[in-house]
Amino acid sequence: MLRAGAVAVYVLAVEWTRALLAQNSRFVVAALLLGGAALGLAALGWPAERLGLGTSRFALRVVGGLALGAVLLLPAAARGAAAPLLPAGLAAAAIAVSIGEELAFRGALYAALDELGGAPLAIGGSTLLWTLAHALSHPPEFLVAVAAAGLLLGLWRWACKDLVAPLIGHVIADLAL
Amino acid sequence: MKRLTLLAAAAIAYVLAAWMVAPGFYDGFGPTEPYRWTCPPPQAGANTKPSSGHADIKVTNGKTEAWSVYTSDGQIVIGFLPDSFDVAGKSTVSVDITPLDTCPEPKDVRFVTNVYRITSDAPLKKKANITLLFSNLKPHPDDIYRTDDPIGQWTLLERTSQGQPYTIYSSADKLGYFAAGYASSTTPPPGGVVTIGGGQALPIIVAVLIVVVVLAGLPLALMRRRRSAEGTEDDDEERS
Repeated sequence: MLRAGAVAVYVLAVEWTRALLAQNSRFVVAALLLGGAALGLAALGWPAERLGLGTSRFALRVVGGLALGAVLLLPAAARGAAAPLLPAGLAAAAIAVSIGEELAFRGALYAALDELGGAPLAIGGSTLLWTLAHALSHPPEFLVAVAAAGLLLGLWRWACKDLVAPLIGHVIADLAL
Repeated sequence: MKRLTLLAAAAIAYVLAAWMVAPGFYDGFGPTEPYRWTCPPPQAGANTKPSSGHADIKVTNGKTEAWSVYTSDGQIVIGFLPDSFDVAGKSTVSVDITPLDTCPEPKDVRFVTNVYRITSDAPLKKKANITLLFSNLKPHPDDIYRTDDPIGQWTLLERTSQGQPYTIYSSADKLGYFAAGYASSTTPPPGGVVTIGGGQALPIIVAVLIVVVVLAGLPLALMRRRRSAEGTEDDDEERS
């Protein structure tokens, strides 16, 4: 209980601090890079398998990540949206924050909640915290889609016991949206 | 099978939820609110028309008060210092901001914001500060431009350093029409989130991803099934 609470408070605090810092244009890249690194710290101390980072069926995990990326991009693609050409700094920041968020939410937080109350709490709790974490950086009307993305990634984490695919899918979506 | 069904349901729920909002909602590289366009670019998705603004600035002891006038969507703000208007016996000075309902394209400027008309019923006698919000869907603007006639010559306003994300500031000694953009003779300013491929880039990316998933996934799935049948499948995953 204490561990799950500590991880939840830590990832929320990092995400909200990152969002507040990123409101100043001079700090956007630094906030994303440092925020991503700080979120990744939440996964320290967990065995790779508990985080869903095992190496078996690795090729399938990668293909799963590409499939998740395709699903995450599908609505924007159906609208005929253009892809952003991110400058190198923002692209690096996008990769850092995607990896950090997955390690924190579907990695450490999921594992801590899973220990506490099993898969339903892990999926529901990580989705709820993920949505709350984006409340400062996203307008309210976007939060339903953010929650739905969190639920999809959380369900994948549970169904496939895998974090590699959510990592890849999230990076693709952040780079292309 | 139950897991696969839940995953498929979650994917459908996500696609429906994300379909309701414009793309680009992930990790805060864009402004917190979608820009309201007069002429939305193709990648803008659902669009709301831009708002207008109005204020009556009080005159006290023959001088107008310091005041800011803005549109209700916050896309343009004009700030006036005390005693900014020649009031000539008025008790209030009325200021209006209206988004132009057309999108002029002068040959020497590329606008990346709507064009706004700012009027007052008293002449301006001190410089006013203009703040324009811009979108992440177009290149970042270099400057704010002003004109008395939107289909005439546009004048570059004094350049001011940028502060808040996705905003550009300048000052003007006359009201009129205002918009932010960059000189068409230059390449789009670096540093912004520039989109590529018009409306084709994301569909192509998704199509490529689907092809790769199908081409790579099918053989992998077949190999896995064959190994399972042979009883050589190793599974070092956690069990939860």
